[in-house]
Amino acid sequence: MMAVASARRRLASLAGPQPVGLALIAPYAVYVAAVFAYPFGFAVWMSFHDYFFAAPGARVDRPFVGVGNYVAALTDPAVRRAFLNVGVFLLINVPLTVVLAMGLAVALNRAIHARTFLRVAFYVPYVTASVAVVGVWLFLFSEGGLVNRLLGPLAPEPSWLVNEALAMPLIAVFVAWKQLGFFILLYLAGLQNVPRELYEAAAVDGATRWRRFRSVTVPALRPATLLVVVLATITGANLFTEPYLLTGGGGPNGASASPVLLMYQRGIEQGLPGMAAAIGVLLVIMVIALSWLSRRLLEVR
Amino acid sequence: MKKYAALLLLIAGTTAACGVDGGAQDTAPSARGPIKIWLSNNKEEVAWGTAMAEAWNKAHADQKITVEEIPAGKTSEEVISAAITAGNAPCLVFNTAPAAVPQFQKQGGLVPLSDFADGASYIEARTGQAATQYKSPDGKYYQLPWKSNPVMIFYNKEVFKKAGIDSENPPLSTYEEFLATSRKLVSSGAAEAAIYPAPSGEFFQSWFDFYPLFAAETDGKQLVEGGKAQFDSPEGHRVAAFWKTLYDEKLAPKEKYNGDAFADGKAAMSIVGPWAVAVYGEKIDWGVAPLPTSTGKPAASVKTFSDAKNVAMYSACRNRATAWDVLKFATSKEQDGALLEATGQMPLRQNLPATYGDYFAKNPDYVTFADQAARTVEVPNVPNSITIWQTFRDAYSSAVIFGTTPPAEAFKAARDKIDALARQA
Amino acid sequence: MRRLILLGMGALAFLFPFYYMFIGSLQAEPDTSMAGLVPSPGKLTLENYREINEEVNLATSLLNSGIFTGAVVACTVVFGVLAGYALARLRFRGRGTMFAILLLVQVVPFQLLLIPLYVLIVRGYGLADSHLGMVLPFAINSTAVFVFRQFFLQLPKELFDAAHIDGAGELRLLWSVALPLVRPALLTAVLLTFIGPWNEFLWPFLITKQADMQPLAVSLANYISNVAARAANPYGAVLAGACVLAAPVIGLFIAFQRHFVSTNIGTGVKG
Repeated sequence: MMAVASARRRLASLAGPQPVGLALIAPYAVYVAAVFAYPFGFAVWMSFHDYFFAAPGARVDRPFVGVGNYVAALTDPAVRRAFLNVGVFLLINVPLTVVLAMGLAVALNRAIHARTFLRVAFYVPYVTASVAVVGVWLFLFSEGGLVNRLLGPLAPEPSWLVNEALAMPLIAVFVAWKQLGFFILLYLAGLQNVPRELYEAAAVDGATRWRRFRSVTVPALRPATLLVVVLATITGANLFTEPYLLTGGGGPNGASASPVLLMYQRGIEQGLPGMAAAIGVLLVIMVIALSWLSRRLLEVR
Repeated sequence: MKKYAALLLLIAGTTAACGVDGGAQDTAPSARGPIKIWLSNNKEEVAWGTAMAEAWNKAHADQKITVEEIPAGKTSEEVISAAITAGNAPCLVFNTAPAAVPQFQKQGGLVPLSDFADGASYIEARTGQAATQYKSPDGKYYQLPWKSNPVMIFYNKEVFKKAGIDSENPPLSTYEEFLATSRKLVSSGAAEAAIYPAPSGEFFQSWFDFYPLFAAETDGKQLVEGGKAQFDSPEGHRVAAFWKTLYDEKLAPKEKYNGDAFADGKAAMSIVGPWAVAVYGEKIDWGVAPLPTSTGKPAASVKTFSDAKNVAMYSACRNRATAWDVLKFATSKEQDGALLEATGQMPLRQNLPATYGDYFAKNPDYVTFADQAARTVEVPNVPNSITIWQTFRDAYSSAVIFGTTPPAEAFKAARDKIDALARQA
Repeated sequence: MRRLILLGMGALAFLFPFYYMFIGSLQAEPDTSMAGLVPSPGKLTLENYREINEEVNLATSLLNSGIFTGAVVACTVVFGVLAGYALARLRFRGRGTMFAILLLVQVVPFQLLLIPLYVLIVRGYGLADSHLGMVLPFAINSTAVFVFRQFFLQLPKELFDAAHIDGAGELRLLWSVALPLVRPALLTAVLLTFIGPWNEFLWPFLITKQADMQPLAVSLANYISNVAARAANPYGAVLAGACVLAAPVIGLFIAFQRHFVSTNIGTGVKG
């Protein structure tokens, strides 16, 4: 008995109080090591070298350049512009996503009629392939498109997608629309975990519906909100398809270029993976900082 | 064995990334055996390629060709580049973009065709003088010039008639005439746009707006020559000013069209290669005109961009002797004829109209293009080719399409950058 | 009632582009004007769909998509639940590190890893033109692990304390207490991870060159880039392709969405 207990303690000091956790997480850890660690380590290594992808057996020189790629990336106006663009994107997209997704999820959770129809409606944009959805948005927001026809003389000039001030906000709205189904689902699943007693207590206290929403629902959904904020930030930082397809390669004039689009251009199209990797590493640092910040702001108990 | 390799990779982690992996096969040049080739997934080309492979396989049971498809679009260079790095590229790709050749070459992904005893002589005998444009800076051929799509102005005759413009000999040869015609087309309401080149920012879009007109205006200068950018010149500025007028006066839209503007009747004109004959042939009553120049050069001397696709041999290929034989077989007079018949694209072969007289007699639509195919300009074969094109495109977008930077300033800045890029070997 | 009307209007606004997509896929001639919004019987046709059926081997593609997606979803759920539970509920050495790695994995853009990963899987593991090679990079979705962790975190602590007093082992606790409670999250995760591999184009395309190995998204993208320019209605061809791709997912969603709202944690806490 004593022996067992002391073995347990030793195990606990080595692996923590609940060592079974190590077993549960092992498959994931192996997976990360097998398909993620090597490419990622490779990418970081690349960012410090004048690298390019060569055929097996080819003799090539890939000198160490220190922070050269980082300097090149940070002094490139196009790269700076792209980071700025993604900042604009996040400022619009993340709050919009949180407010709309939470509001719609709460409303949907209480809706009794036409439940299936309503849920499917909000989910459809998320499941549809980007190529097609982008096609429809082009139709809506192009110069002679439906939206401009409805706006008549109020239509912006130049039109949405070729207007330097409007292209990125429009993409932010587009992504919010496209991804909303995903986030509504997250909130809906989160809402199932809000104890009904809390509402009943609030109702007894005579709280108005709005007060109940603010004092019961919003705090109870905080973990879900954190999840939504972090995931929306990550999705936004990895923005690629929309500037690639919707504004024809980050147009107009680079006003909707994103860091990942530049990585694609520099690294894959132009064969400068060193610089692309440097942009990628900078982006990763930025997103981690933002995620940490949202965690600090939202996970206070 | 594979398991251990995987484990090793895991343990080695990032350090594995630094080493140069061995495993090149230097016995390959004389080896024969089965080979794999990639074709673009364009329907007609696949039909041609499959038939070509069948004909070869019938006669060479021990050296069979396996055919696979890659998309014709933007992704094909990425796929090839990734395959080079992974060492599983096929022997031949019948869809190698000349602009990507410098990069593939730098990657060590290409077999110099000049290393075959009859390599250079075969290429030069087939293509003639034009072949030298495809030589790499080290003097070797890493690509076989295969087929071109010399671009010209296609116009919609019905739209021209509606606008009250002569639809048989439309005034399009000088910039003045071209602009006047464009204004008439749009102001009459016959078409929303006079011409609609893609105004988007991808590096290759300049091949279908600025570059053909630049080739015509300069009598065949490349974007970069002798390690120096050529576009910051009076000719280059004239071409830029021409396009800028079209964009400023809303004769050409600044917004990307989702679909084919010419096919949908949105645009009265389009810059296209001979493939367009088959595509628009039935749907639109079309005419073809040479590219405009500022002074209106005679049609017979106007040059254009070739939009060529070539064949290259990849270093992962083991049976290179077979691959070289297949390459010669696939670009023989007979197979070139079959390609022309199947796709309407122009084999990069000298004396085209004379060699396939029967075909052109039967298909007069293609004669103009065949004639133009003799006067084409290629993208420059220089290091950092794609970065150069992207740099140029970015400058062009901001100066010409969106008008946010004065063209003189934008071109000057792009020239400095491109000169530096072209110097790096 | 007012809420329902508002919701309904929102839903219609969301559905409109999709409606347009569907109508567009049925048009014989491209019509981008306002009139194109209203279906007129004379102009509608199934031609766009018939062409797809002719060009693309739908059965093989669907099978490949099924294998690819099924394997990804299965791995994601099984290993994701285990990892998510461990991260949320168990204290062990290295948990903090694993959580940091989990964040890192999600944050790194796929474009950065694309070519090194391709080289690793093709050259290192020799998995070109195989289902395993297709599945591997997506096998465990880190976002799903993150989502599971978050949902396990939301479960009331008392539940676990009570079970611990009963002397239940961690695995039994996971299986019989935690899992039933997070069923909504589970189904959510299935539906969410389903979309990724189902619509994924670039990776399966890079890894498979043989047409009979390609999933539907790749075949359709090929079809779109290839035929779109030639079809009588290129726009319609693209939209029809998108509809074919979207239909199974929407069907699945309609079939399953009932299940994951009916479970209510309230009953779990009380009973």
